Amino acid sequence: MAKKHIASINVREEESEINLTPMLDVVFIMLIFFIVTATFIRETGLEVTRPEQSQAQVVEEEGAILIIVDSTDDIWIDGRVVDPRAVRANIERLHAEDPDRPVVIQTSNTSTAETLVTVMNASREADVYNISIASAE
Amino acid sequence: MREVSDQHLEEEGESEINLTPMLDVVFIMLIFFIVTSVFVKDPGAEVLRPQATTALSADKASIFIAVTSDDEIWIDRRRVDEAGARLAIERLHTEYPEGGVVIQADSGAHNQAVIAVMDAAKTAGILDITLAASVP
Repeated sequence: MAKKHIASINVREEESEINLTPMLDVVFIMLIFFIVTATFIRETGLEVTRPEQSQAQVVEEEGAILIIVDSTDDIWIDGRVVDPRAVRANIERLHAEDPDRPVVIQTSNTSTAETLVTVMNASREADVYNISIASAE
Repeated sequence: MREVSDQHLEEEGESEINLTPMLDVVFIMLIFFIVTSVFVKDPGAEVLRPQATTALSADKASIFIAVTSDDEIWIDRRRVDEAGARLAIERLHTEYPEGGVVIQADSGAHNQAVIAVMDAAKTAGILDITLAASVP
């Protein structure tokens, strides 16, 4: 009698335990799916702003440093062609005169992105982070 | 006789591995990967990025647009024209309202196309625009 009772308790205990194996399978498959699809794209770059008003207004109102990139990828500052390596020094000089001046880059349609990035990089190296990009009208 | 059967039961209980801690770990990993997974739409074109020493990592970026050296604009593995770029950016912006735009312009890409993409992003209401550059 006593033995039979114990046996029935054992059976009931076993039945009441939930079988976790199928859930574990699902969870593992989801885990593997998310690990595989997780792409941690690390992109580096330079932030740009595109001004609301036209670049002429920015230059006039805020006294911005105007850098012109022409169609042959020459860089013009203050009416002179500047070597790409000398852009930083020129911006630093103008920045020292008035530290609040932002930089406005006016690009020609046929200049290349490399020159644009070079000028932006030079400006950031010269501690001017307020850079706007204008296109030539 | 009963002693023997009890011993037998106890041994079985001990030989079963306790899965609870492993399940905890697996669930935490699962939740981590679900939360961090951003299904980044890669533009579908490989470009040669210009180099810049001051380039910072664009953490919030989720919309990637490539401008190749032939001035082709690629978004979400499709080639689009300038008008199509605005529509594609708007569509992606509604999917990821928080994310910024990264323009992956090739070194030889012309600025007309780059600025057209910038304007498209601005028209779509995105102010966080980054021009991709690699750190040398």
